Amino acid sequence: MIDFGYGITRSNRLNLDEADLTLARKMARREKSFGTCIGCGTCTAGCTAGHFTAYNPRKIQLMILNGQTENLKEDLEKCMLCGRCQMLCPRGISLRSLWSKLYRALDAPHKTPSVTRDIF
Amino acid sequence: MEERFSFDPFVLPFTIGMMFIIIYLSIAAGKVIYDLPSEDRKKFFRSLFSWRIFVSIKDIICECLLHVRIFRRNRVLGFMHMSIAFGWFMIIVLGHIEVKLYAPHRLNLPYFPIFFRYFMKETEQTMQGAFFFFIMDFFLLLIFIGIGMALYKRFNSRAMGMRRTTRLKMADRIALYTLWLIFPLRLLAESHTAEIAGGSFLTNTVGYLVGVVPEDYGRGFWWAYSISLGMFFFALPGSRYMHIPTEALLILFKNAGIRSRKKGDGVATAAIYSCSRCGICIDACQISSAARKPKDTAVYFIRQLREGDPAALKSAENCFMCGRCVQACPVGIDSIRLRQNVRELKAPKDQSDYSYLPAMDIGQADVLYFSGCMTRNMPSILYSMKKILKESGDNYLHMDASSTICCGRPMLLSGQIDAARAMIMKNTEIIRLSGARTLITSCPICYKVFCEQYSLQGVEILHHSQYIDRLIKEGRIEVEKSSLNVVYHDPCDLGRGSKVYKEPRRVIDAVATLTSIPSAIDKKKALCCGGSLANTALSEGSRRTVTEDAYKQLTASSPDVLATACPLCKKTFEGVSEGHSAVKDIAQIVVEAMVEKSPVPGKENSKNSSAHITA
Amino acid sequence: MKNIVIIGAGVAGLSAASILKEKGYDVTIIEKKAYDGGNVASWDRLFPDSRRASRLIDDVKRPLGDGVTIHYDQSITSLVKMKDGRIGVKTDSLETIHADALLVASGFSLFDAHLKEEYGYGIYDNVYTQADLESMFNAGKVLTRSGDAPRRIGFVHCVGSRDEKVGNRYCSKVCCVTAVKQASEIKQLYPDAQVYCFYMDLRMFELPYEDMYFNAQKLYGVRFIRGRLCEAAEKMDKSVVLKVEDTLAGQTMNLSVDMLVLMAGMRPASDTTRIATMLGLHCGKEGFLTPVDTFSRGNETEVDGVFLAGTCTGPKTIPQTIADARSAAICIDEYLKKRKK
Repeated sequence: MIDFGYGITRSNRLNLDEADLTLARKMARREKSFGTCIGCGTCTAGCTAGHFTAYNPRKIQLMILNGQTENLKEDLEKCMLCGRCQMLCPRGISLRSLWSKLYRALDAPHKTPSVTRDIF
Repeated sequence: MEERFSFDPFVLPFTIGMMFIIIYLSIAAGKVIYDLPSEDRKKFFRSLFSWRIFVSIKDIICECLLHVRIFRRNRVLGFMHMSIAFGWFMIIVLGHIEVKLYAPHRLNLPYFPIFFRYFMKETEQTMQGAFFFFIMDFFLLLIFIGIGMALYKRFNSRAMGMRRTTRLKMADRIALYTLWLIFPLRLLAESHTAEIAGGSFLTNTVGYLVGVVPEDYGRGFWWAYSISLGMFFFALPGSRYMHIPTEALLILFKNAGIRSRKKGDGVATAAIYSCSRCGICIDACQISSAARKPKDTAVYFIRQLREGDPAALKSAENCFMCGRCVQACPVGIDSIRLRQNVRELKAPKDQSDYSYLPAMDIGQADVLYFSGCMTRNMPSILYSMKKILKESGDNYLHMDASSTICCGRPMLLSGQIDAARAMIMKNTEIIRLSGARTLITSCPICYKVFCEQYSLQGVEILHHSQYIDRLIKEGRIEVEKSSLNVVYHDPCDLGRGSKVYKEPRRVIDAVATLTSIPSAIDKKKALCCGGSLANTALSEGSRRTVTEDAYKQLTASSPDVLATACPLCKKTFEGVSEGHSAVKDIAQIVVEAMVEKSPVPGKENSKNSSAHITA
Repeated sequence: MKNIVIIGAGVAGLSAASILKEKGYDVTIIEKKAYDGGNVASWDRLFPDSRRASRLIDDVKRPLGDGVTIHYDQSITSLVKMKDGRIGVKTDSLETIHADALLVASGFSLFDAHLKEEYGYGIYDNVYTQADLESMFNAGKVLTRSGDAPRRIGFVHCVGSRDEKVGNRYCSKVCCVTAVKQASEIKQLYPDAQVYCFYMDLRMFELPYEDMYFNAQKLYGVRFIRGRLCEAAEKMDKSVVLKVEDTLAGQTMNLSVDMLVLMAGMRPASDTTRIATMLGLHCGKEGFLTPVDTFSRGNETEVDGVFLAGTCTGPKTIPQTIADARSAAICIDEYLKKRKK
């Protein structure tokens, strides 16, 4: 592509065919209840961090499913892991577990710590 | 008594085994002590030279030999452990006494006291010998009773009061079977020489029976006895019997006031090796007893840690951190701390600092009420507390009326210390700025973290049950006792977690009839509601099973009300309570029983019923 | 003459009785409450055509006449399957009735809205259930607790339905339509009021229902917000502040209403488990009775001579309940004819 020094506004349309769904698959493996959200928004309405920011736990799940992972970590860092979302979720999604696992999945470059033996 | 020999090749297996285990244990103990953070190490050495060492000695005798704690929990099991441990210990001690009396010059030979009966010969004038013969046989018999019980327990653990018992691995089995073999072999060996070296009711009797074995083959019993001892020593490091030497070290650490802080520090290591895999925690753990998922119970988790099994990373999460297993553990292993260690190890390095949180000025007040994230969803608690606070006449402010900053404990439980610190700092700032001298919270989760992790010198931290108790005692609120039947459920973080047991009970007693529940689920042994935030591995369905089971046990007497003092417990129990005993918070019951004084305009700072955001 | 006992004098029980009577059977209905009509008796008007609930009950009862006896205020103490194939029905004050067939039409009860504590039912002055609102409609006065006309009213769908946390994972089917009906009725009463419906999914599944939804928007200007409340709080003036996310806009919001109406879901009636245990019937994990086959044998049970009708097998609308009850009546008729041979 020739760089004209200016650009055309990028289309807002997501091409789901080309989306990178690695994270979505990973999260589905790690947290069984991931993907069962019905989007009622109770989590977001009740979110402790959401009171101060535009943090939206409901949307985070959708963004993972759509492969929109660029700003995910920045977003997730607003979460206080207080567990209110999980307490409210009518689907019984283990949201705290999901956030913890997502935290670790996004913590780059994350190595699984080794559990060394303690004597010898 | 007279010496017959001073050496025989059969002592070698035992002697080599013993040398090995002594060297192994010395190095291991050295490493554990070396691994202690230097501050703790100093504490440890100082405690060795203070009066506390006597406490430690007493504890070591009570726990390692007599197994008092197991005995208190389960008499049969306690007796089994005591008979083996104490019996064996006495046989060793008596063996040394015999050597000291009859062959003092042989005390330097480590094998001599063990195989004393082989090397010595009974003579006419040693009547004292008869005493030792009897007492040695007596302790041997005691051990046999213990082993008999242990054998029975292997096949029928229920009869011993245990619903489930630990599933053992190879090294454990080898050690277990050699341990069981040691004593019958000893009996056979000693019986064989009973003619010469003397014996009593056990050895003499068996001696007649084995008398048919020719002299030369008879030495085979001594070989077998020595080999079984040697094998046991070699199997020891890889087996659960490491708890025998390690527990003593753990007791020393505990009495020195040292607690584990991170994975791999000496205390954690000592704790891991102190686990005898008795499996008492399996029954105590509701994930195993109610939800039937025993695979991550403390005993297995600790084994994974010891073996360096990466599965520990996962099983560290499958825990309510309710502390029932710690309470039940006969060795007193803080397995919650061990799990926390792994969680911290696993936490992401890059953690939030919550810089987006605005500076908040909520105004000035003497008393702050922090409802917490969970109470926001429990208006019954919130509104009852507001009524009580109003009635108290205290000049109070609702700290998180419009928005809560999480107390930080959930984040801590996920191992993210730095992120938790950031929240703790923010809340501390708000509390300090308000000039409050008392901080009241309705949530035991918050209460525990306020007490343990916040530095709020000069601010008294109270759970609302404590506050209400005080108001009633000082006559600042007036209540009428009703005939309502109430069962009280101790929330984990308030009871076991913060040792608040008396106040909530006193409060209920003042307003209703406190109905007792079986001691197996009361106070220190209280159940977890299953709603705990700490578990991120258990499915919602299994949680519900735990909740249903706990609710059923607590309301077995069909009380009018199941009272609790935690918004999360209340919420969780409510979900399974339809049509049965109502679930209420203490504050709610108090408000229902409260005789309101003549209406005085509310003392809540009118300007500030909601937080004021300045940035 | 063959004798048939029906448990429950609700719409299902009464509808089945009329068919069975026509077929020439002796019918005895055992009713727990002091009145018939079940849950419908406390309703004012019914969707979709706003007919009076009392008129519907009258219509269902009209054909009954002499052949049908209704015993009110009876609670069943034992149900026994006897050797001769009949069922012994014993209540606390009646002689044992030997029934040739038994129809369980024990219906539903509304979810106890106290258990969704975050919405403040029983704690705040102005939080009601749809049943409370129907009573107000019945009384002809819809007012807040302080006696004022409400200017802003919120309806919360799915209270105790589709909610794992209270153990009810199923959809209660009728609440969406009821909410739309009540929202429209409120607007008829107070044309200037602002009405909100907070829903997760709107399930307007039958022919006339979508029109009700359309009219609620077009004629009554009801605002439908797709989001489930996380909490409600009471203000000093006793209005209720709601916290919700408008999920379609992705916007969290606060708003206050003078009156909050909770659409409590359907639970199996309180005696369902007890009846099931006495007879050896199956209850599904949601607590409703399960028939032999949901497709073709929806009224039959594993126990010979015991049949099911109405909402005891799961949430149903009134037309569905009536159809189900009539189908059960025919099943019973067939069963008894077969047995005669």
